[in-house]
Amino acid sequence: MFRRLLHLLFGLLLLSATALAEQRFPPPDFESGYQLPTPTTPAPRAGLMQYADVVVLLSALALALWLVYRTRSRRGITALSLFSLAYFGFYRKGCVCAIGSVQNVALALCDSHYALPVTVLIFFLAPLTVALFAGRAFCAAVCPQGAIQDLVLIKPLKVPAWLETPLGLIPYLFLGAGVCFAATGSGFLICRYDPLVPFFRFNGSELMIGLGVAFLLAGLFVGRPYCRFLCPYGALLRLATLAAKWRVRVTPDTCTQCALCQHSCPFGAMREPTGMQKREPLKTSRLRLATFLLLLPVLVGLGAWGGSQLATPASKFNRTVKLAGRYVRSLTTPDRFPMELQRVEANPGPVLAKAEEIRQQFLLGATLFGGWVGLVFGVKFISLCLRRNRTDFEPDPGTCFACARCFETCPSERIRRGWIPAELETARSKE
Amino acid sequence: MKIPLPQDPLGRREFLRGGVRYGLLVGLAAMAARAVSGKRLVNQDCTSQGICRGCPDYTDCELPQALSARQAPPISDTGAYEEVCRIAGGKMPSRSLAIGPEDRLYLATGNAVLVLNQAGVREQEWTLDAPVCCVTVAPDGTVFAGLRNRILHLDSNGNRLADWQVPGNRTWLTGLAADANDLFAADAGNRVILRLDRAGQCIGRIGEKNAERDVPGFIVPSPYFSVMIHPDGLLRVNNPGRHRVEAYTLDGDFEGAWGKASGAVDGFCGCCNPIRVVPLPDGRMITCEKGLPRVKIYSATGEFESVVAGTNAFPENARVGAGERDADAALAGLTAAVDSRGRIAILDHVTGAVRILQPKAGGKA
Amino acid sequence: MSTNPKEPVNRRNFLGAAARVAAMTGVGALLGKLAGATAAKGTVWQIDPAKCVRCGKCATACVLEQSAVKCVHAYAVCGYCELCTGYFGPEPNELTTAAENQLCPTAAIQRTYIEDPYYQYHIDEKLCIGCAKCVDGCNRYGNGSLFLQVRHDRCVNCNECAIARVCAGDAFVRVPVDQPYLLKTKPTTS
Repeated sequence: MFRRLLHLLFGLLLLSATALAEQRFPPPDFESGYQLPTPTTPAPRAGLMQYADVVVLLSALALALWLVYRTRSRRGITALSLFSLAYFGFYRKGCVCAIGSVQNVALALCDSHYALPVTVLIFFLAPLTVALFAGRAFCAAVCPQGAIQDLVLIKPLKVPAWLETPLGLIPYLFLGAGVCFAATGSGFLICRYDPLVPFFRFNGSELMIGLGVAFLLAGLFVGRPYCRFLCPYGALLRLATLAAKWRVRVTPDTCTQCALCQHSCPFGAMREPTGMQKREPLKTSRLRLATFLLLLPVLVGLGAWGGSQLATPASKFNRTVKLAGRYVRSLTTPDRFPMELQRVEANPGPVLAKAEEIRQQFLLGATLFGGWVGLVFGVKFISLCLRRNRTDFEPDPGTCFACARCFETCPSERIRRGWIPAELETARSKE
Repeated sequence: MKIPLPQDPLGRREFLRGGVRYGLLVGLAAMAARAVSGKRLVNQDCTSQGICRGCPDYTDCELPQALSARQAPPISDTGAYEEVCRIAGGKMPSRSLAIGPEDRLYLATGNAVLVLNQAGVREQEWTLDAPVCCVTVAPDGTVFAGLRNRILHLDSNGNRLADWQVPGNRTWLTGLAADANDLFAADAGNRVILRLDRAGQCIGRIGEKNAERDVPGFIVPSPYFSVMIHPDGLLRVNNPGRHRVEAYTLDGDFEGAWGKASGAVDGFCGCCNPIRVVPLPDGRMITCEKGLPRVKIYSATGEFESVVAGTNAFPENARVGAGERDADAALAGLTAAVDSRGRIAILDHVTGAVRILQPKAGGKA
Repeated sequence: MSTNPKEPVNRRNFLGAAARVAAMTGVGALLGKLAGATAAKGTVWQIDPAKCVRCGKCATACVLEQSAVKCVHAYAVCGYCELCTGYFGPEPNELTTAAENQLCPTAAIQRTYIEDPYYQYHIDEKLCIGCAKCVDGCNRYGNGSLFLQVRHDRCVNCNECAIARVCAGDAFVRVPVDQPYLLKTKPTTS
């Protein structure tokens, strides 16, 4: 299978070249004994080293889990994120990363001509599997994009809930759009609009460098703005944590409900005990829940319809569709840059057919995307109505990046570590 | 008081048990999905992709759509000649053209020689066992076909009279010319014109670099090299690397040369032109060029006279030659031949079409 | 919350376990679906010289300060011409290495005399910016021995190649990492 794929990718050029090497038109017959040089072919770094990347990723994930669950060490997490930033960020220039791998997987699922490198599949699955069992340890210290934001955070401000909740939906939408574009072969939006990669490469378009600077400036005061309000892989991990078996728990003992952990969390991930919340009457809540449950299919349907309306404009981002459009226009008005059009002019049929095929794919993709948007909103409304019972301060596993900041603020943890004499604390709490 | 870690991470046993359970689950699901999704990749060959690189494996494939989509405009923009007829050759790649008795066209295309009558109707098709690189017709009506390093002597019905192996491992025949006694073969690989007798014996090597005889040597960077017998009794050979046409006696004495490298219309442009020279009965010479594919006429002494067909008459040829198409640029080229009525036939190697041009009435032809 | 690993089966734990089982089944299904579509070796970007239309965007669109795409010379295809249309601009004053005769904007092609009448042309990769001017000249009139390739000592192998996105000829392809170059060879036909 691999060999066939290899041939497909390679085309017939080399095939015929190897088969007929002795039948080439001979070069000049030099009398001076001149020997033909051969062009140099420096080997790509990606050969063996891509597996080194995987080893580093898996080790870093394991280490992050150990640091979060066993040593509970913020210092260790910081050190690991510095390493990840240096390795995955500045050394590997941010490619390939788990965030972008979503698109490779989507493309491989939809395009039979695309071969997904195994390493990319591991980059996609490993953090996701970890999240399924133990939360977002990847975000804590392995992701270079997360690390760079975590390190610039100096004066965290709390984002009000009315702003945080809707902004928190953007990653899901970005994820949907990214998958839709990747699946139709229209490009990797998530890579293209990653604002932090230009820092790793010390280069990028003005727009992306500007965005990156904006994100880092905002990151001085708002904890990890990209992770919370844009990162599509984060959205996927957030979904995965719904099933997480182990969750980050702040207090090792009983919660004293001191709320120190809530203040220490720069990402607004701590949820207070339900006893401390103001609650509306149960009846109102139930009524509201029923309304939103009924509304969910309506929202999905509405979204799907809206999405299908977006299909045509969205499909114009695809190169083939754009090219076909330019070709059709060029039949009436001459094109300014005819070079791209040459391959269409030679044989318009296949390009036009391909464009039409992609348009159809976009119709499906955009409809699904619209439905997804409706679903995201509907489920969010429903989840806002759900009443949960908490007796302690607990981090929301979906929002928590497992950064380990809160542990050290918890009095019980401090006692556990022997930073406060246990007797003193017991005496104080008895007063 | 010793406070334990908040969550006892699972014991080793439970961790392993969970790992096995979930691993099995993943494995089963993977196998099921694998079974359902089935085969993915389809085998593709070059023709279904519209790509032809003219490889010998595909010598007989039909002309790719990409190359036949556009009709070339008729040749009428020059003063002397006008296009009267266009014959679709249709096979890719076509490489050589000769005109024989009764103005029959002999077309080397793919692995075959096509014989067309003067109206363009296919009379015969002789399939040979290798790509045909060049073809010529002897005065007695027999046909010589050059394969890469072999020459076949065929009678007028395509029956094989002789099959000569041309020695040398660099041999790459691209042009043939025959008179009543001799056959001249242009070997582009060895940069030499071979003189063969009717028994296939090599009786002379013409044009090899030789300071004593003042022979400059041919520079042939690509497989475009031809020889023709001029009415004055000398050979005319194109020396593309020196941008000129050279004259040799049949015994290999260098008699002179004309032509200059220039981007202007009277010169030969690019790195290696002309690719072919064909004498007219009155002694003037037709030259074919690639890069900017065009056909021109020079006087017997080498003064530029006129353009027969310009680049815009061969748009696909120009694009393939410039590497702008998914086809091997070395396929591009033109071959001209002259019939008994003074009409010029031009074979476009890319499209396989033959354009017949006749002198315009009243034109200076 | 109990620290005992044997937690009681309540609704929450049950739902969690069900979700995990579903999610792992999903992961397995994904793996199975992708099993036939993976390439163990991985891929890198390369230019198919047969498709390149020499639009010049390689020089500017790369994410690197200086493009990872450079001109490569297939010496075995080269005619070693004295009048090289990849080296000299149209209508050169004389066939010398004087700057005004050269096509290359950065003088990255070195011309050396070998023997009459042959000259070797060599690309100085430090100077080459991948603008494809010489490639166009060589392909249009010559043997096409000059062509563009992604140089893998420079390429950072972006997930989505920024040049591929704008390539006029759609010539960028993913190739297996162990055969990372699409080098030109001598013409096969006569």
